[in-house]
Amino acid sequence: MGICWCKEKHEENESYFPQSNNDNIDSAIQSVTPFSSAEYYLENTEKGCPDSLTVDKLVLETLGIIGTLVDNEQEPPPSMLRLHNIADNEEGWIQVVKSMVNVIPMTDPLGSSVITLLLDDSPLPSRESVLHVASMFNLSAQSALVGRINAPKQRNICVVLGCIAEKLAGPSSLGILTDSTLDYLITNLNTDTDPNVILFSLIALEKFAQTSENKATIIRRLQSEPSCPISKLEAWVRDDHFIKKQVGFCAQWALDNLFVMPNRKFSYLTVDNSHLNAMLNTSDVSEYLKISPDGVEARCDAYSFESVRCTAQADSGVWYYEVTIITPGVMQIGWATKDSNFLNHEGYGIGDDKYSLAYDGCRKLIWYNAKSEPQHLPRWQAGDILGCLLDIENQLIWFSVNGHLIPPCTHVFGMAKSGFFAAASFMSFQQCHFNFGAEPFKHPPRTTYSTFNDTGVLDPECRQVLPRHIYLNQLRQQSVREDSCTLCYDKKASVRLIPCEHGGFCTSCVGQLNECPMCRSAIHVVVDDTSQ
Amino acid sequence: MAALPRRIIKETQRLLQEPVPGISAVPDESNARYFHVIVTGPEDSPFEGGLFKLELFLPEDYPMSAPKVRFITKIYHPNIDRLGRICLDILKDKWSPALQIRTVLLSIQALLSAPNPDDPLANDVAELWKVNEAEAIRNAKEWTRRYAMDN
Repeated sequence: MGICWCKEKHEENESYFPQSNNDNIDSAIQSVTPFSSAEYYLENTEKGCPDSLTVDKLVLETLGIIGTLVDNEQEPPPSMLRLHNIADNEEGWIQVVKSMVNVIPMTDPLGSSVITLLLDDSPLPSRESVLHVASMFNLSAQSALVGRINAPKQRNICVVLGCIAEKLAGPSSLGILTDSTLDYLITNLNTDTDPNVILFSLIALEKFAQTSENKATIIRRLQSEPSCPISKLEAWVRDDHFIKKQVGFCAQWALDNLFVMPNRKFSYLTVDNSHLNAMLNTSDVSEYLKISPDGVEARCDAYSFESVRCTAQADSGVWYYEVTIITPGVMQIGWATKDSNFLNHEGYGIGDDKYSLAYDGCRKLIWYNAKSEPQHLPRWQAGDILGCLLDIENQLIWFSVNGHLIPPCTHVFGMAKSGFFAAASFMSFQQCHFNFGAEPFKHPPRTTYSTFNDTGVLDPECRQVLPRHIYLNQLRQQSVREDSCTLCYDKKASVRLIPCEHGGFCTSCVGQLNECPMCRSAIHVVVDDTSQ
Repeated sequence: MAALPRRIIKETQRLLQEPVPGISAVPDESNARYFHVIVTGPEDSPFEGGLFKLELFLPEDYPMSAPKVRFITKIYHPNIDRLGRICLDILKDKWSPALQIRTVLLSIQALLSAPNPDDPLANDVAELWKVNEAEAIRNAKEWTRRYAMDN
């Protein structure tokens, strides 16, 4: 389950796992909670802003706890609640930003996520506060160069800039992307900057580009450079260094989707996918997930919990695929049927309903029906190989990390016995690479198994991962027939409601209604309207 | 990206071809279900002169369920809370699939003209609106100037 406290509470209280699991979480929380007096976490009474040391501590505490939180229904940790209260007034918001930038280490896989979580749940800052923060960072080409001695701080500044750009998309975002901010971000793209800083500078530019005037400004600026700095980074997509690989992925995605440069061919036109018979399904993915042009690598830079299924389906027998972990943060990777829903905005993904099961090697949890079960393996690292084996005959799912097996899971087979797809969910800034059998496996199982690449069939248009602007343009040009249902515009209008006599609907829409959509009167009879 | 329902395509085309005065709703470049919305504060209301940014999201089962709409610009209004959530019946139990993005946004604009402190979401604001309307209106004007005007 993604970490998100904005959603509504669920009624369901069934547990599929022993209750004792919670003990681990409780003790983990206690062990990282150095203060216990109620005063320290006092709610709703935040007057003025506490000193920076206190806020620094609260930020680090939140970072320490966040990886142990597994349930959206539980209250956010007290340190996080207090930070929200502090950020409620403008002075406090500025201090929270300052503390996050100063204290969050680059090595923590959840560091960047914590910044986005805290900023996302805080009230929107005023334009003055944002400008104050921007001037506090003193952004310029010069500060980018001087800042190289403190990469973690620069990385955090870029994460914050990206968050602010996304939250304030529109006129306020224009106010922050000044010439000096742009100088700072573009200077960071030099290949001799720390790759972590390059990565989040690129993501910040991407978020600023959500406002179209900013996008035009950024494109003009990129074109005025002697050679486009993002194009240089694109070559890193095949680098063995895992941070550089992410930079390459994001650079390629940005050039295909946002900063379209003349004389550059879209990647989908140049990539060779002829050896692939199974890919991630670009028609079966939540809105913000980025998929590579070859369709086997995915990344999330949104603040939602993004999910995807593969194109091929498993109905019987034994199936295996492998995933290379590129970022060591929260991803839930495993198996899902089509009944499994992607509720990205609510933080629900693979393993968070009854029709899917997943492993999350950051928090070391098996997920089924939004309940988790701890596993005894080390936290996963970039480069680790997750093996996913589905044995439909024996109703078992096995996961392995670098060949080390986790005890098999059986939960999902109560609800689903066929129609399985490889599937995964991603928290912000997470990325992994799928191997459905087109490349040799690193840790193949000893049993006989099938692969999606051996059995899958891809028709030519599914093989293409189109840039979004091209895909959406194609969709928007579809025409709508005049005699179509006024609710779905999809099927032909064919029925009329009695007694109110309102018509212009199709039978499938009316089947979902309790009352007339026009006048709210009860529907007694539905009559065929096509004979007139 | 799942295939886009025709209903959404149709509404998007119409919003772009025949915009509603005082309201702009632009689909996100990479997400056809997400709209960037700007509503101008109605004349003769404390929000006059302000440009209010909102986000509108069409859920999976739209139009059978209501769009999710939220103010992004801070606003002092008894039916809008500090996170920008809006208390409006047609967004909840009074939703009908015959309503559209444009009708929803017009209703929100009307809510700015006619705050309803008897059905509050922001309790402190509603309270003040009831006991001292003049002061509440002063606050609303001040917030509009501070957060919803560019200069």
